[in-house]
Amino acid sequence: MIERFIHHLRVELPAAGETAAEARVRLADKFPRTALRRMTHLGLLLGSALDGAPLGPEDALVYASTFAETRSLENFLLSFPAASPLLFQASIHPGGVQQVLVGRQQPVARLWPLAARARLVEQALLATLLEPAARVALVGGEERGTWMLEQHMAAPRAFAFAAVLTREAAGASGRVEFAPGAAPDGTPPSLEDFSNALAARSALGWTGAGGAWTLEWL
Amino acid sequence: MPAPADQLSVGLAACDCLTPFGDAGATAAALRAGRRALELRPVLGRDGGDAVPLALFGPMDETRPPRWLAELEKLAVRIPAGAWGAAREPVIVTSSNFGVGSLYAFTRDQDARHLAHGTPFATVDYLRGVFGWGEHVHVFSHACVTAHLGLAHAARLLHAGLADRVLVFSFDFVSPFVAGGFHSLKILNGQMPAPYAARETGSIGLGDGAAFAVLAREPAQFRLAAHALHNEMYHVTGNQPDGAGFAACAAAIAAAAGGRRVWIKGHGTGTLEAGRLEAEILARQFPGAPLVSWKGSLGHTLGSCGLVELAIALAALREGAIPGTVGSAAPCFTDTVALAPFASTGFDAAVLTSNAFGGAHAAMLLTHD
Repeated sequence: MIERFIHHLRVELPAAGETAAEARVRLADKFPRTALRRMTHLGLLLGSALDGAPLGPEDALVYASTFAETRSLENFLLSFPAASPLLFQASIHPGGVQQVLVGRQQPVARLWPLAARARLVEQALLATLLEPAARVALVGGEERGTWMLEQHMAAPRAFAFAAVLTREAAGASGRVEFAPGAAPDGTPPSLEDFSNALAARSALGWTGAGGAWTLEWL
Repeated sequence: MPAPADQLSVGLAACDCLTPFGDAGATAAALRAGRRALELRPVLGRDGGDAVPLALFGPMDETRPPRWLAELEKLAVRIPAGAWGAAREPVIVTSSNFGVGSLYAFTRDQDARHLAHGTPFATVDYLRGVFGWGEHVHVFSHACVTAHLGLAHAARLLHAGLADRVLVFSFDFVSPFVAGGFHSLKILNGQMPAPYAARETGSIGLGDGAAFAVLAREPAQFRLAAHALHNEMYHVTGNQPDGAGFAACAAAIAAAAGGRRVWIKGHGTGTLEAGRLEAEILARQFPGAPLVSWKGSLGHTLGSCGLVELAIALAALREGAIPGTVGSAAPCFTDTVALAPFASTGFDAAVLTSNAFGGAHAAMLLTHD
């Protein structure tokens, strides 16, 4: 059995129609002004979720996003034939979380950016539990697309979460457990469902990756 | 103090790659012969633009099915049989670009059929269908250190007893999306790359590449003995000017290497500042160890470069001769840069490094009998 305890936890579930410009105003006090104007909606939400997270250069971060840097990708594609260098940089996974960490000059030992769909939450949790770092930030999120959303290639709404997991039970608000054992694959939560469960402090359980998963609140 | 390297040794049960020269053996032989796969081609394919160095399997323009599919199918026949994608035999797909060229094609012709393989998850779903993989396909994407993450995560899965074998599958094919992006940053220009050469201006080339490795806990002739990673987060694209990020990663992998006699396959894209920092710090950390880069011939295969170059290193070791730094000439940043091929006798390990945007640094230790 592998377990980690949730300490810092913050979830960003903005109003459905929030734009990046509106988020920039709403979250202005959380970012350096010089960084703020270049940040994407996803970057702003991830940054807000990570605000106050106790991370050091010896720690690790796991970043889960199915659609990742959607708006930068959309806009970079539309910038051709005069390709935009800024949009190119921002479109590359894991740009959403890199813009936050660069803005804060926050090095980390290891960064694990995942980009799957069906079992993304399970795989991100596995990467988190296998990390030897004392503190692991598990972050995830999406930003709402425009023309890619029309093609079902982007998320319909924006959200982000950040949880710092450690081996310390004292003071924890939640617990994640993976118990290896023969079990057929069940259906893990989607990234958005997982984010909603974190926000509502709802328990989760499923089987997959050769074991049983539990998210519980203390 | 840098974070210590993961020292979770795993055996390489199988490993190969495809480049425009062919498989790993053919590529290593071409590199030893000093051949260059890079050619000057229009940066936006049929849409034209400046001529830049690209090493491609064929025309860069996107097709349906995507142009990378036939090459990946050729590579996949070399993968040992297995229940790939089952919980005990997971697949880890690592790429920087996946099928993003299909998104570019969609924006040009509005043909929605390109979208079946335009995003990372769509690409992986598409590959699962083609290769019959199960659901347990992990997908990592961290620019040019991506393949290292896949290999390091595979070692963790194996040592945790959560997998019996792991297939790491990596590919990146150049498209106008990525070539146009690097061209906009001015580092993909009309010059051929000359890794680690002290010259007036830097330049990179881009190349198509794909590779796989099957990793297992069982002993094997070649083993990945350690992985070191470090993320500076100093600048979106640049590195700390004092090279502290390179040094942190190099120190961690040097500690894992102990007293082994190593040669080094560096990242060496052809940029000046990063190339100088990399060469100087590796020379300081591994005094006298020869340093090579193969991107002056193959171009930078982006997220797949770590695995493509690992496969070439294995093929070179089997032949007993390591290719030199094709495309470069003296003077170089350090006297450790090996311009010509050299014999692998006398070495008992290799260090393979990659670097990426965000000041991401990765290194792995390859050991052998």
